[in-house]
Amino acid sequence: MQVSNRQNVMKDLTVKEAMRRLIINLAAEATLEEAIRYAIKYKVNAILITDPNQVAVGVVTKTDLMGAYYAGLPLSTPAASIMVGPPLFCHLDDSLDAALDRMRTHKIHRLYVREAAAPQAVGVLAYPDIVGLLYRYCHQCDRNLRRDTEEAEHLLADRVRLREVMTPGVFALGADDSLLQVMEGLAAHKFGALLITGEDGAPAGVISKTDLIVAYLHGVPPEAPAKTVMTKEVAACDYHDILINALRRMIFSDVSRLFVFRDSPGHIVGVFSLSDATRFRSGTCRACVSSRIRPH
Amino acid sequence: MDITAREVMATRFSTLSPRMTIGEACRVFQKAGEEHQQIVFGMVVTDQAGQLLGMLSMYDILLLIRPKHIHIWGEIKDVDVSGILDAALTRARSMLVSDIMTTDLLTITPDMHLLRIIDIMIKKHVRRLPVLEDGKMVGMVYLSQVFQHLLERGSE
Repeated sequence: MQVSNRQNVMKDLTVKEAMRRLIINLAAEATLEEAIRYAIKYKVNAILITDPNQVAVGVVTKTDLMGAYYAGLPLSTPAASIMVGPPLFCHLDDSLDAALDRMRTHKIHRLYVREAAAPQAVGVLAYPDIVGLLYRYCHQCDRNLRRDTEEAEHLLADRVRLREVMTPGVFALGADDSLLQVMEGLAAHKFGALLITGEDGAPAGVISKTDLIVAYLHGVPPEAPAKTVMTKEVAACDYHDILINALRRMIFSDVSRLFVFRDSPGHIVGVFSLSDATRFRSGTCRACVSSRIRPH
Repeated sequence: MDITAREVMATRFSTLSPRMTIGEACRVFQKAGEEHQQIVFGMVVTDQAGQLLGMLSMYDILLLIRPKHIHIWGEIKDVDVSGILDAALTRARSMLVSDIMTTDLLTITPDMHLLRIIDIMIKKHVRRLPVLEDGKMVGMVYLSQVFQHLLERGSE
């Protein structure tokens, strides 16, 4: 691993160091059904749509697939009919700073990567890829005041409480509300998952975009109540819990966000996302590029 | 004599149902392995009428088990991850075969020449090809059996 000694380590990092080389793509004639299977199997939020020469023509995201479910499109509909395109690219040697700025300017969560000479995508860069790399480098940063401590990582994770890093407030719907209402809620708040509460107002489950596209694949009518497809386990952590426990819970549950409860599991007071986690762990410095990553 | 798929295909093969859970599919994989006395790495998915719907491979199951944030927690030293494999397996068991099966399949007919089968397997990076006759699945050609056949012919 190359270690930077510069004040802002991000200046030294390029897109090719952070990107994933495995691009999940489908041909333009592939159906929504195939796109959903790919999103589930590869655990990705977006699928690149390519022409016969492997040139990217568009992107289909889980949000787009959820939109197709909401609109009642048949699963046999070509994915190309709902794709957004052409996709935005960056280059292998662009700095992460430049790539992140491009993502923020265009309000998108990922960029595809290509070499200057060829039109085909050679990689994909999304927020989790950037934060993963940041974590590796952040302890070398001049602004990480604890970098010289052998147990810096351990101490930091043991010291920090969830209440310091969570996003306060939560939007919830009832278990008898329809999937259509859930989709409207997710779209309006730009959330990846929504808390579902029971008749007593207590947390009863969670519905993510993945749950919704699985329901679409299984032929569940969008008018069905939320309780029919919600995941009954609400992945949550205590407001006073230390960061390390929350991270462990997130990894174990294979989710990108946790709900945060205070005093009792029935009292949800906030949401804690992977981006929050990594931003804090890497970002003892506000100047660090990770502090500009927004949860999604 | 020219060899075709008919001569090298296996006519006894286990199948999966699309509504099976991944947990149930794993048990069928194990049972098929015991019957054939070799590890089974992929299986076809058929409907009740025997029509081919898709294929479920070892790779599909491995993808499902792999945590989505593995690249991040791989960087973190202070997180205790003991038990994470069991947690991943528990999640995967309840998914359905139809949720992750591959539906974009290459198929061949019984009269396809062995060299053309080899060509397809090399070009498309596939290790098994379902054999269809009049739309019905009649056999499966495995790369290992193709190679075994070539070994036998080559040593004559």
